[in-house]
Amino acid sequence: MKAFKTLTKPLNPLYMLVLFDILAFFLLYIRKTPFDTQALIVGGALLAGTLLIYILTGIFQLGDRYMLLITAMLISIGELILYRLDSSLGLKQAIWLGVSFLVYFLCYGLFGLITFWKRIIWVFPLLSVLLFLLTMVFGTTVNGSKNWIFIKGMSIQTSEIIKLLFVFFLACYYSQRERLMDKYPRIWVTLIFMMLSYTMMGLMILQREWGTPMLLFLVFTLMLYIFEKDLRLFLLNGIAAAAASAVGLLFVHHIRVRVEALVNPWKDIAGKGYQITQSLFAIGSGDFFGRGIGLGRPDFIPDVKTDFIFSAICEEMGMFGGAAVILLFLLLAYRGFKIALECSDTFYKALALGITLIFAFQAFIIIAGVIKLFLLTGITLPFISYGGSSMVVNFAAMGILQRIAALRETEGGC
Amino acid sequence: MFEIVSSIFKYAFTLIIYIFIYNIIRLILMDIRSMSDKGRSGDMPRYVLKLSGVKGIADFVIEPVYDLNKVTTIGRAVENTITIEDDFLSATHARIIRKRKNYYLQDDNSTNGTFLNGKRLGKRRVRLKDGDQIHLGRCEFLFVMEKGQVSHESI
Amino acid sequence: MKTDKKIVHALLVICLLFSMLIVYLTYFELFVKDKIISNSYNQRLNADNSSVLRGSILDRNGEVLAKSQFKGETQERVYPYGSLYSHIIGYNSRVYGKSLLEANYNDYLSNRYDAHTLMDILAKLEGFDPAGANLTLTLDHNLQAQAEKLMRNLKGAVVVMNPRTGEILAMVSKPDFDPTGSKLEASWRTLVESPDSPFLSRATQGLYAPGSTFKVVVSASALDHGLADKVYKDTGITTIDGKEFRNAGGKAYGEINLSQALSVSSNTYFARLGTDLGASALKKAAEAFGLEKDVPFELPFNKSRFPYKEMSQTDLASVGIGQGKILVTPLHMAMIASSIANDGVMMQPWLVKDIKTVNDITLQEGKPRVLAQPISAQTAQALKEMMVDVVKSGTGKKAAIKGITVAGKTGTAQNETTGGKKEQEHAWFIGFAPADDPTVAVAVIAEYSGSSGGDLCAPIAGKLMAAWLNGK
Repeated sequence: MKAFKTLTKPLNPLYMLVLFDILAFFLLYIRKTPFDTQALIVGGALLAGTLLIYILTGIFQLGDRYMLLITAMLISIGELILYRLDSSLGLKQAIWLGVSFLVYFLCYGLFGLITFWKRIIWVFPLLSVLLFLLTMVFGTTVNGSKNWIFIKGMSIQTSEIIKLLFVFFLACYYSQRERLMDKYPRIWVTLIFMMLSYTMMGLMILQREWGTPMLLFLVFTLMLYIFEKDLRLFLLNGIAAAAASAVGLLFVHHIRVRVEALVNPWKDIAGKGYQITQSLFAIGSGDFFGRGIGLGRPDFIPDVKTDFIFSAICEEMGMFGGAAVILLFLLLAYRGFKIALECSDTFYKALALGITLIFAFQAFIIIAGVIKLFLLTGITLPFISYGGSSMVVNFAAMGILQRIAALRETEGGC
Repeated sequence: MFEIVSSIFKYAFTLIIYIFIYNIIRLILMDIRSMSDKGRSGDMPRYVLKLSGVKGIADFVIEPVYDLNKVTTIGRAVENTITIEDDFLSATHARIIRKRKNYYLQDDNSTNGTFLNGKRLGKRRVRLKDGDQIHLGRCEFLFVMEKGQVSHESI
Repeated sequence: MKTDKKIVHALLVICLLFSMLIVYLTYFELFVKDKIISNSYNQRLNADNSSVLRGSILDRNGEVLAKSQFKGETQERVYPYGSLYSHIIGYNSRVYGKSLLEANYNDYLSNRYDAHTLMDILAKLEGFDPAGANLTLTLDHNLQAQAEKLMRNLKGAVVVMNPRTGEILAMVSKPDFDPTGSKLEASWRTLVESPDSPFLSRATQGLYAPGSTFKVVVSASALDHGLADKVYKDTGITTIDGKEFRNAGGKAYGEINLSQALSVSSNTYFARLGTDLGASALKKAAEAFGLEKDVPFELPFNKSRFPYKEMSQTDLASVGIGQGKILVTPLHMAMIASSIANDGVMMQPWLVKDIKTVNDITLQEGKPRVLAQPISAQTAQALKEMMVDVVKSGTGKKAAIKGITVAGKTGTAQNETTGGKKEQEHAWFIGFAPADDPTVAVAVIAEYSGSSGGDLCAPIAGKLMAAWLNGK
């Protein structure tokens, strides 16, 4: 009855979402001559999928519906921009979204069924190393980082999977810490934990990938702050980070180049500063309301479909569109934090928190990067950027987060 | 033609997304409010007075647990939140006040006095801690956090 | 419990980080964007150029002053009169970007103007055209060409405007440069490094000591303060607080009143008048005429300076004869002359008559706007009569036009480089005609010329006013 009441309110966010999708895909439909029926099919499928998940979630109480709505809005904006950039890209992304929806339910179900997560703490670092070795042997270099494996024409970015393994590892550790510390000397437990964490981050640096380690490091730092009773570890980690960045700045050419591009991209506008300045031109030409979908020139932005998609959003939907995306991520993070706060079980709490922090920091790092507020690193904007592995892993994480939310609701404090 | 539609739609998109965000925030706020109305047990530790003993023979009715409201008055008179017909109590003997998350005990000029952990209370109110012993008249209470299944009936 | 508290801290950190993003993005759009967007590496600028034919710029009679034409795939910008309009239209270079009107009206010229209002959307609906809008200016090509010819061997500026409406009829700054793409790119370095600063639009951005032309402002203040009949004995030299003020050529005029003093441009008279008027009266008059005020204009326009906080007696005397620290732009002097011509009402100067799409839909239209009323109509009338005398029998005789009454004031200004040497002084003339119903006002300056305003600038002003009045 109550659900029915909220549904009949005219400004229900669900209706706004549906209206947005209808307008967006109508616009894409009339953009080409002759009219692009594929846009309508993609839009219809996206809308149907979103509604199906929303209704299922509503009826069976499968988690937090606000989080679902926010995610749906993000993928709608992403699909609109991607389809506008390249309709074949939009089609591929839509197919990946379909796969992601399935993975979402799969993870939702599996996560609840499996109860021995806490006992397999060693599995996660092991899997990470295994994946690392796999990419070292079979990997391919894309954009300077060797973190892709191609299997039968399908490419998988392994760092996306390691991201999820990492938060699982952290959650397991914090739920098992007391037990481990009773069994083994405290100092050794802490030492091994720190070493394993740094190894999981460090492996990716060996593959010349900078974005994901930075993301994991930020998540790790906040997790230390939250779950360590003794703040010395947190401070130690901070000092280690400062030392590492100083060394990186002095001796690693790759990092120096990026810092130079951040400090003064105009000096070498044709070279090191090219990407970031092109991004700034796009954001600037968008002004507050944007040039309108299809009326800007995001094709001038390098890597626009993945790393720089936020610049394309700002160019065509304006600074208001960009700020809306930022707000949506903030709301998403807020819901995640709320779920974590309401869990009493440390494993669920830490896992919910880890996943939320991954979403939030990933969005922050890449947006801050493309607007020249922070170092630019090549990671995707969750739920918006093009990319199969990133989309599937994000939806898997979302499925788990939603399951934790549902457990909290139905079983009264998971 | 497309250009005109798109130039108009860009305002529509902005409007729609912000209405969407506004409504999500509104619904979340409503959610939080309804949850905090349902019972503060969710966000706030809830305390009770638990009877720990009666000196002598109890010739009056007394319950094992008393819930605490925002202001809980204790005494012999019927107007009190907790009425105990103990002859050693004054008509309005003492009160417990909740301010934010804290509870305070205050003696209402009683004849025989109110004792907290064995010490007699002066005129000033005193903040209560979990496990505090409160002694009034012939009754001894413990101030403790509510645990498990306790009846939620307010008195 | 403690963990939950820390989780809330983490949430606050995230909130802070995300608000930083939004704040920076807003800051970027408000303050940074405009500075970077015209960078030549922004391919959007060229992309627009190649698909949309850039609009033309015309004079008030439809004469083409700048136009674009396709040259294969790309466009080139053609300026039929070369350097004649370089300080008004500016340049449009692929390498060096855009300046002046080309920059200021780029969105219209390249058809990039946003459909901000319903009118714009309707305009787009009615006829969307792959060509940019055309700008029609208030300038008169013949007058501009003649002004340039008269100034050819000088450094300085000429501004001719309609005192009734504020329309700029001609505006020349010398030296100038050829804005044509290939020529500009070839000579860029020389132009930038030249000590003559050919990129400086002197008419709007050059700041000069006004010299004796400022005496009209001082006279206005004297008229308003009832000092019109004040008589001083002019002995050719006067000493104020130990500083000597001499008349040009050391001439002594005997007992003279305000009108006679303005006519012969007596420095001793105006120096003493300045001290008698006092700081607040002079400052009030200067501010009423728009010194220290930003005036809206379609081109970058420096505000004239009156940088005194405290004024000593010598400061008062110096300002009385238009020297000291006061600095004015030639356009501003033309506005001062215009306000006297226009019964004391100062009009806002403007350059762009209208902006029309190729299909003749008007996007923007210039209108006369009142800027201020520095003096009353009576004071303006009195000043006018005094300025008529200047041309009839005083220092401005060479500005006279046969059969038309001309009002004017000459000036010869010392400046930072003269140090007492005559050959570096600025020569000035401001004026308007016909005196009884003015339709044209002028300001002419020849910088560091060493000639007097009456000899060098008055004839130029006279010829230009005659050309405009006879041409109509």
